[in-house]
Parts: sequence; C-alpha cells; structure tokens
Amino acid sequence: MIHPYRRFKAFAFLTALLILLPNLSMASDQLIVYSGRAERLIKPVLDAFQAKTNISIQLLTGSSTQLINRLQAEGKHTSADVFITNDAGTLERARELHLLKPMKIEGIEHIIPQAFRAPDNSWIGLSGRIWIIVYNTSMVKPEQISSLFDLADPTWKGKLAIPTAGSEYLQAGASVISATKGEAATESFLKGIRDNAENFVYGKNRQIVDAVAKSKVALGLVNHYYIYRHLAQNPKAPIAPLLTDQKKGEMGLIMNATGIGVVKHTKQAEAAKTLIQFLISQSGQQMFAERNKEYPLHHMVKADPTLPPRDSFHVAQVPLARLAELREPTMLLIERSGLR
Amino acid sequence: MTALSRRQAFFSPLPLFTFAIATTLAFPLLYVAYSAFSAKGAVWQRLWATRIPELLFNTVSLAIGVGVTTLFLGISLAWLITRYDFTGRRIWEWAIVLPLAIPSYVLAYIYTYLLETGGTLEQGWQMVMGAEARIFSPYSYGGAWLVMTLNTFPYVYLLSRAALYNFNLSFEEAAQASGATRWQTMYRVSLPLIRPSLVAGLFLVTLYVVSDFGAVSLLRFQTFTYAIYQQMTGRYDYGAASILSLLLVLFAFFFLIAERWFRQQSRFFQTGGHIRTKALIPCGTMQTLVITTFILLIFSAAFGVPVLLLIQWTWMTWVEGEMGSGFLQYIWNSTMLSGVAATLAIAIGTPLAYLACRFPTKLNLFVLQGAYTGYVLPGPVAALALLTLFTQYLPFLYGTALVLILAYLVHFLPAGLQAMESAIQQVNPNIEEAAKSLGLHALSSFRQVTFPLVRGGFMVAWILMFLQAMKELPATLLLRPVGFDTLSVRIWLEASEELYQLAAPPALLIILITIPVVLLLTKKNWRAT
Repeated sequence: MIHPYRRFKAFAFLTALLILLPNLSMASDQLIVYSGRAERLIKPVLDAFQAKTNISIQLLTGSSTQLINRLQAEGKHTSADVFITNDAGTLERARELHLLKPMKIEGIEHIIPQAFRAPDNSWIGLSGRIWIIVYNTSMVKPEQISSLFDLADPTWKGKLAIPTAGSEYLQAGASVISATKGEAATESFLKGIRDNAENFVYGKNRQIVDAVAKSKVALGLVNHYYIYRHLAQNPKAPIAPLLTDQKKGEMGLIMNATGIGVVKHTKQAEAAKTLIQFLISQSGQQMFAERNKEYPLHHMVKADPTLPPRDSFHVAQVPLARLAELREPTMLLIERSGLR
Repeated sequence: MTALSRRQAFFSPLPLFTFAIATTLAFPLLYVAYSAFSAKGAVWQRLWATRIPELLFNTVSLAIGVGVTTLFLGISLAWLITRYDFTGRRIWEWAIVLPLAIPSYVLAYIYTYLLETGGTLEQGWQMVMGAEARIFSPYSYGGAWLVMTLNTFPYVYLLSRAALYNFNLSFEEAAQASGATRWQTMYRVSLPLIRPSLVAGLFLVTLYVVSDFGAVSLLRFQTFTYAIYQQMTGRYDYGAASILSLLLVLFAFFFLIAERWFRQQSRFFQTGGHIRTKALIPCGTMQTLVITTFILLIFSAAFGVPVLLLIQWTWMTWVEGEMGSGFLQYIWNSTMLSGVAATLAIAIGTPLAYLACRFPTKLNLFVLQGAYTGYVLPGPVAALALLTLFTQYLPFLYGTALVLILAYLVHFLPAGLQAMESAIQQVNPNIEEAAKSLGLHALSSFRQVTFPLVRGGFMVAWILMFLQAMKELPATLLLRPVGFDTLSVRIWLEASEELYQLAAPPALLIILITIPVVLLLTKKNWRAT
C-alpha cells in the first residue's frame, strides 16, 4: 500500500502544478468587456459584433458598482478594455474617478443626444429605459392617476408594490425627482410609497410585475421593458404602463440610459472604438429595440411597435451626468425615509 | 519542556514559516484596519449614530436564535440516531447531513419563493387557518432565522453524533446503576460529557451566521454582513464597509477567545479504550412513526422540498430549451478551484495547528488566532484588499486563479484549522516522543506516526473547506479571472436577472457534486472533529 502521506504529497504537487499553469487562452486581438448588464441582454449584441468584425470578445459580468471597485483597484494593471453598465450614474462616477478615456467619434453629436453622453464623450449612452408605473387594468382606471406623486396618496394603501432601497433604478429615480422637485418633496414621496407598499417590497422588477398581473396589488413601479417581457409570455395579462406627469410644465417620465465607456488604460482603443461605432449604428441600435424592448437613442431608429412611441411623451430634463453627484444625498434621503 | 528546547523550537524554520503564512493571511485584515482608521471621523460618527446599534442587535440575536435551534435540532437528531433503533435509521443517519450541500443563497431564494405573500406556503396555511391568515414574511428575522437554521444544523448533528458514538458507555451505565432515569442520565451525564463537541458545533454555526452574505442579503435582514454588502454595492464606500468589517472581526475575536477559554476549562480525556457499541433501544410502531415524522419534517424543509423545486425548475428550463451551454467548463472550474484551495489549506494549516497544539506559546497561539479572523472578514471586503495587494505588488500574478485561491484560503482555513487542531489534540504526544526517542527526525515522526493518526480529522477539514469554497460567492464574483465563471457565479448571474428558473440548473449541479463529499463526512470511523 502506498503510504497515505506520499499519496497526499503527490496530490498536493499535482494541484500546485495546476494553479501555476498560466492562463493560456488569452489571444491578442480581443476586447475584454466588464459588463454590469444582464448577460442575456448584452451578449447577443456582442456576438453579432464578433461575427461581423472578427474581434473576439471576453465578457465579465458583475454588478456595476463592484466592477467600478475592481477597475479602481486594478488601476493601470487592468485587463479590461471596455466598461458597459445599465445606469448612466455609474458611468459618470467612473468618469469622475478617471477610469474612462475621452473618445473622439466622428458625428456622435448627430447620433446620440447631448443629455445621454458625458460632456467629453468618455461614456456614451446606448439605450433608454423608463422607470414607470405599471397598473392592473381591472383594478385601476388610468384617469385615477395622472402623476407619479399620486402613488404617495393614502388611497393606495396596501395596493402598491415597490422595489427595495438597494435598487439602482429607485436610486436613480429618486435622484431625478429630487433634482426637479427638491429634497423635501422627494422625501415625502418616498415616505408615502413606503407606507402604501406595506409588505409589498420586492428585490426584483419581475416580482413587481407579477404581483400586479396576479392582482395582488393594483400598482407597481418598474422599468418599462419588464412589462413587455411579461406581456410577451402572457399576452392576456391585465397590465399596462401609465404615462404620468405629461402636462406642460410637469416633470415628465423618468428616463435612465445604459451606456458604454472605454477604459483609460486599455491598449485596444481602436478596437473599442469599433465596438462603440457598431453599437450606436442603426443596426446595433435596432437590436436593443427589438431584443430588449428598450428605447434606442439613435434618433433614426424607432422603438418596438408594442411600446408607446418615443415622441408620444416627454421625459424629465435632468442631464444623466448629474446622477453621480446626486447619488450620495439621494442615498441619505432614501435611508432617512425608512425604505428598506 | 526545558527552556532550551523551547528556544530551539522558536528558532527552528517551522515557526518562522508559520509566522510568514499567518502574516500573509492577516494582510487583508491589516488593510481593512488601515482603511477603517483612515476613514473620516464623520463616517464613524454617522455609522455609530444610525447603524451600529441596530446591526449589533440583529447580528447577535440572529446568532443566538440560530444557535439555540441548531443545538436543539442537532442534539435531538443525533440522540435519536445513536440511541434508538427504528425502521429507516440507517438511511436517515446520512440523509440528515445532506442540507450542507445547499448553498445558503439558494435556500434563501427558494424560501423567498415559498414564503412570498400569496405564495405556496401561505395558500397552504390559509386552507388550515382561514383565508385571512398571514404567514411570516421571508424578509424578516423569522426568514433569516429559518434559512440559517435549516442550512447549518447538520454541523451540530455531525459533531454530537460522532461524540455520542465515541462515548465511553461506562459513565451512562454507572449513572443508571445508581438509579438515574434515562432523562437524568442524558441531562446530567451524557450531554455534559459531549459538551466540547457541542461547543465546537455551535462555534461553526455562529461563525457561519455572522459571516454569511448570501442569505441575509437576499432576505434583506440588516446584519453586519448585509450592511457591508450595501455599502460596497450601493455607495462605493470602502471606508464605511471597512469600519463595519473591523467591528465584525472584533466581535468575532471576543467570541473566539471565549470559545478557547471554554475549551480549556473543560478539557478532559476519555478513559481507556472501552469503546463498545451500545445496544440500541428498540422502537414500536408508534415510536417509529413519531420519530420518522419528526426527522422527515426537518429533512423536507431543509433539503427535500428545495431540491424537488430545483429539479422541477431545471426540467422546465430544459423543456423550454433555455438551458445554457458550457456547464462542463463551470463544473471543472468550480471543483478544480475548491479542490486546490482545500488541499493547499491542509498543507499550510498543518504546521499552524501542530505548533499551536504541541508548543502553545503565546506567539504560536496568536498566529493561530490571526488565521482564524479571516473567517469573519467579509468576503467582498477581503477580496478587494487582496485585489489591491496583487495589483500593487504582484501584478504578474494578477489575473490568474491564484488570487482567488488565496482569497479562499484566507476565508476558509479557519474552518479547517478547527478540525485539524482537535485531530492533533487527540494524538497523545507520548507516541511522538517515543518515535523521536527511537531516532526519528521531527518531520519523519510527523509523517510516519502523527499523520496516519490524524488522517480522518484532516479529511474532515478538507471536506469542510472544499464544501464552503464550492459555495463561495462574493469573493469569486470580484476576483475571478476574465472568462472564468464557476457554478456559483452562474447561479448569481441568472438569479440577479430575476430568472430563478434559469438559476436552477447550476444550483442543482453544485448540490449534486457536493453530495458525495458531504456523505464522506458521515463515515463512522472518523473521530469527532
């Protein structure tokens, strides 16, 4: 019999060999993408890019904030070339931390509106998403609610579903509200929806849409495309979005953008630029519209026909770049209002 | 031991090696302490005024609640299994350990599904109690307590079962001969005698409860780890996160000292080698029924129902043709990483545990304690510290799996050390001395005499570390090399997209892979850890 210690030693030696093997899979002509977006929403678009350009893509998915922490700690040793997220505030934060590289892209000002880009183009918006009220069509008449702020009214006690305080969309939404209406109004709005939601606080957008569709609650606050994702699977579900605050002088809907930035220390700036050009081209934008049911930011590309057309509503005029500076005060506001 | 040999022991290469290792392991802690103390006073003040009292209260009460219930479940199950003979006993004996194969975040997401308002459990409850009845929300103390209890009671069960098996029966027989009833014997003789094992089990459970991320963050229960997670994901506030982490480590440190003190107070050896199997108490139909119902209830809640649900979801995913590809790669990545980390941990932990047992000098014990603190240093915080260390000082190693393995070592070595230490403690030093007096070198005496004796305990240590590394999430998410996803990362990626159904296949795979390893833990001939 082999002595157990010898066997143990052999095992230890083998495993040590295994970890010291360098990572051999690294090819030279490839882009490493750190992405805070759901893999299912971004991977098909990146696959199409790979097929078209022969630049291969390695995708590392994580939470946006964590990826920023990682980029910051990695500094100039980072292997990332491109950073993609689902929240413009996060991208602006990355710019403030000098993690992104200002880019020159010909004609960008004619393609993506100013409000959806960093002033120095170190990040560029790709698609728009609206934080919106979903209502149960058999429980609520659309006339009953004309403003987002109606949700704080006690008539909806126990009939509203909201996201948790940790939701990036809630944070971005509260920032936009506070930039247009001031802190006091935002705080009383947040306290109102906290009271009305009672126990209907969900970690996931999908759970909120589900709760509304199953008539557990009458109203919910979600990102618009979750409504359409639910409708695509259950075409008869009694749910619809509410376009609130649309009168002249009112706030408008709350829109956030997903976007892309080139990492400052990349050695692949040219390939990264090719990727951006692909994503903001009409065919790239079309994919965001069709697959993800997001609003394309390219003015020539139409939104999916099941969505309200982009020119049928107006959105709050808060430059997305401001979301970053509003973040800390908003977090304190959310904490103060007792949302969990 | 003479003063001279003590000095020799200190200056020989072994203690220096362990000291170097302990320093490496303590690096993340030092880094966190540094960031905590360089944070602004206002941050300390804000945390102190708004968060810390609540977090402390929640963390402690969760630990106590889970501790009490796991003790009750663990001891009563072990008692039934080792003392009664009923149909199915042999199957239950190992089946009770299976819940250890389920990652806490998977159990948590299953319970959020089962317990949600209008969910399956509430509908069942309403059939019994009337339509207005409400079941408790999973997002509460109750939810966190339930999930943590169901996830950890097998630790207490395993340790008390092993202790009850290795128990010298003469004590019980003496008590009964003196006229004690069966209950009196249990409370006054048997339980006090297996106390060291109970304490060790409680120790594992408590450390697990205060350091776990997955369950509390999914259940949004405000403990230290959840608050740290929020600071790290919502606010980019490494300063605040490190302050909270430091407090958590401090809290755990006091707990460790208390545990060690307790262990020293109650150190005793069992006399003689009279280990016989006790005749089991035979059970009638009624008794069998009651016992089986009790065990079945716990087993279904902790393992049966969750796994059935995962199987159903996996099946639905398969039918809908949404099954992802690349699972072979993820399986390989997960098992390779965890296996390497556990093996390295044994290699590194052996000298630490050995020195602390045989030469319990202040320095050696301090080194050991230093290694222990890594267990409670929250995953994302420790991971970021390691990331900084590697990118600043060892950039050529950054981007390999080595960083991740080091993170696992920092985090899980303590769980293994606990088991290795007690394995070494059970070896009588006289045997080693005898080997040395016969002319064996210290290293060969360890190799040829001690190692074969502690092999069982070391195997348990390896398994504990392998298991936890397989399930680890926060550090893996942050430190994995590009293009290197593990099963736990896949679960997180799907679950965070709100696609619980798609998260089911990788979750089921983790459970299937870990089941055989978990079952190894129930092998009878391995002595109590």
